[in-house]
Amino acid sequence: MLNESKATLSDGTTIDELINVQTREVSMRLLSDHEIYKLEMERIFAKTWLLLGHETEIPNAGDFVVRDMGEDQVIVSRDRKGDVHVLLNVCPHRGMRVCMAEIGNAPMHRCVYHGWAFRPDGSFIGAPIEREQMHGNIFTKDQLGLRKARVQLYGGLIFATWNINGPSLEDFLGDSKFYFDLLFCRTDGGLEALGPPQRFIVPANWKAAAEQSASDGFHTLTLHRSLMETGQYGRASADDIYANAPAMYGVDISCRQGHSLRCIPAEQTFTMFMTMEELKKLSPEQRLEVLPPPGISKEMLPEMKRHMSPAGLKLMAKAPPQVGGMFPNVLVLFIYAPRTDGKYSGALALHSYVPRGPDHVEFTNWIFAEKSASPEMKRDMMANAVRQAGTSGTIEQDDSDTWPHMSRNARGAIGRQQTLKYGALLGEKKPEDWPGGGYVYDGFTKDDTQWNWWLYYRELMTAKS
Amino acid sequence: MNTATVSKGMERTPPLPITGKRVATGSALYNEVLEFVYDEAALLDGQKFDDWANLLAEDLSYTAPLRITRQGPDRLNTVVRTTLHFDDDYSSIMGRLQRLGTKSAWAEDPPSRTRRLVTNVRVWETAKPNEYETESYLLLSRSRYEHYQLQVLSCVRHDLLRRSGPGAFKLARREIIVDQSVLGMANLAVFL
Repeated sequence: MLNESKATLSDGTTIDELINVQTREVSMRLLSDHEIYKLEMERIFAKTWLLLGHETEIPNAGDFVVRDMGEDQVIVSRDRKGDVHVLLNVCPHRGMRVCMAEIGNAPMHRCVYHGWAFRPDGSFIGAPIEREQMHGNIFTKDQLGLRKARVQLYGGLIFATWNINGPSLEDFLGDSKFYFDLLFCRTDGGLEALGPPQRFIVPANWKAAAEQSASDGFHTLTLHRSLMETGQYGRASADDIYANAPAMYGVDISCRQGHSLRCIPAEQTFTMFMTMEELKKLSPEQRLEVLPPPGISKEMLPEMKRHMSPAGLKLMAKAPPQVGGMFPNVLVLFIYAPRTDGKYSGALALHSYVPRGPDHVEFTNWIFAEKSASPEMKRDMMANAVRQAGTSGTIEQDDSDTWPHMSRNARGAIGRQQTLKYGALLGEKKPEDWPGGGYVYDGFTKDDTQWNWWLYYRELMTAKS
Repeated sequence: MNTATVSKGMERTPPLPITGKRVATGSALYNEVLEFVYDEAALLDGQKFDDWANLLAEDLSYTAPLRITRQGPDRLNTVVRTTLHFDDDYSSIMGRLQRLGTKSAWAEDPPSRTRRLVTNVRVWETAKPNEYETESYLLLSRSRYEHYQLQVLSCVRHDLLRRSGPGAFKLARREIIVDQSVLGMANLAVFL
């Protein structure tokens, strides 16, 4: 029996033992164990804030999308007052799924089984044959609404949690919020989801994807080596990729809650910028004009400047955050995207890695642009995001073919005794005049941010409550 | 209906409703088109990407919309053309092929063993004498590594073929409509 109060598994192993703080090793058992998975559903996915979408997906009263909080499916809906609600998609009557669509608009959700009906805010309207009072007389109508999660919008992104009295989203984002603000809250109109997310199943444990999302920069040099071989990243010669190490030097940031971002100067990564010697001589103001952050056009700069402190602007000019993650299961990808015509564009995407049992994860990929971007720019950003990330993306198709092998290896009696190793730490080092807080790592990207992810995972998995 | 997917200028124009005259099954023209469709599938299954590239027109549009489940009056409106699985043109397809040719395109190295089963081919004439609309069903099976499970994807393809010579065509447009709203395949590192 799983002893939940002590986070002890049925063979007597404790979660503590599976994450060795001294040697910074994580047991591969965590990538396959069913008991651990069950515990994760309760202690992580029923507890922390989770990303469910963007409010531009449901602009009108009655609009809804159906999403997942761990294994719990929810209806994300907008009511007549404009408020967003997140409702467990389980009929309180007999447990039937209430909403059968993935997207739509409905003034009410009526269960197809016995007809119990609910408003977009989750409140119970009634069961058919009102005079017979088929909801009985034990519970009042007020007690029979759809179960509601706590909702908070941030930059239009919809977050929800079942931890009704827990920390606010702001507290959960902690010191990372300063950096996320630079990405999600930088224009008058804010971000816009350019359509529903791509969705596909990867036969891997969700953490194979999630621990990478915690700013694993190092894998780029080998797993994504084709980017250098095709001449998009690094110097033209493919022979000295390791020697000139594109995209490795920058500033990684993270915080106790396991979120992280990689702030990388463009000339550290992209072939086309590496040769732009003049970039180094420019003031931050001039740099912004020459090289606006991904997703921002020159025309949008005045708007962006109004939304940022001088310190934030300086960071966006020199080393905008480009990749990173939000604990537990979100990847942030706000990247420069080299195009086939020799110019560059931006690709803005967020992924959520939704657990589908211990051995599968659903990859959900939203693609964004600023609302104030021109239609042409939005089209261009969609195309570039699709070509690089998600289902057919030439970067991420290598990732989704890698994680399943880790998961599979974790199922062996011996394989699951092996460990993921986070031995290479850079250590905290803040550049002079660094504008933000949190843990700051200036230099070659190492294991620091991913290790912080596991430490927070461990904290939640061993929490007493 | 939820208008979020259609109101922002992101929706691509679907291939026009096919209005041209049907090319009779078994006719000489139909057989020419069928041979193109079979040959193309064989080139992709055989990993002969350079030869496949020669079948692509330089004004190619190659897209794969999302599918989504709706209920009620909008239940048949299941194709989403805002976000796509493929959003490509000729030069971006060439970029994909260039990557597949590198030493480190791990998603297809080792390569998948694929089988493109193309059926239900229908052909129509268009307003242009050298262009034909085709519809084909595709069942792609994909075998990777030593895994015994086949990954499978079913879709319908709406192609525009342009005659480039006797018995020869170029693919000028392909819209791939997959059946799954959540794909059961970990990536589309293969062409459909």
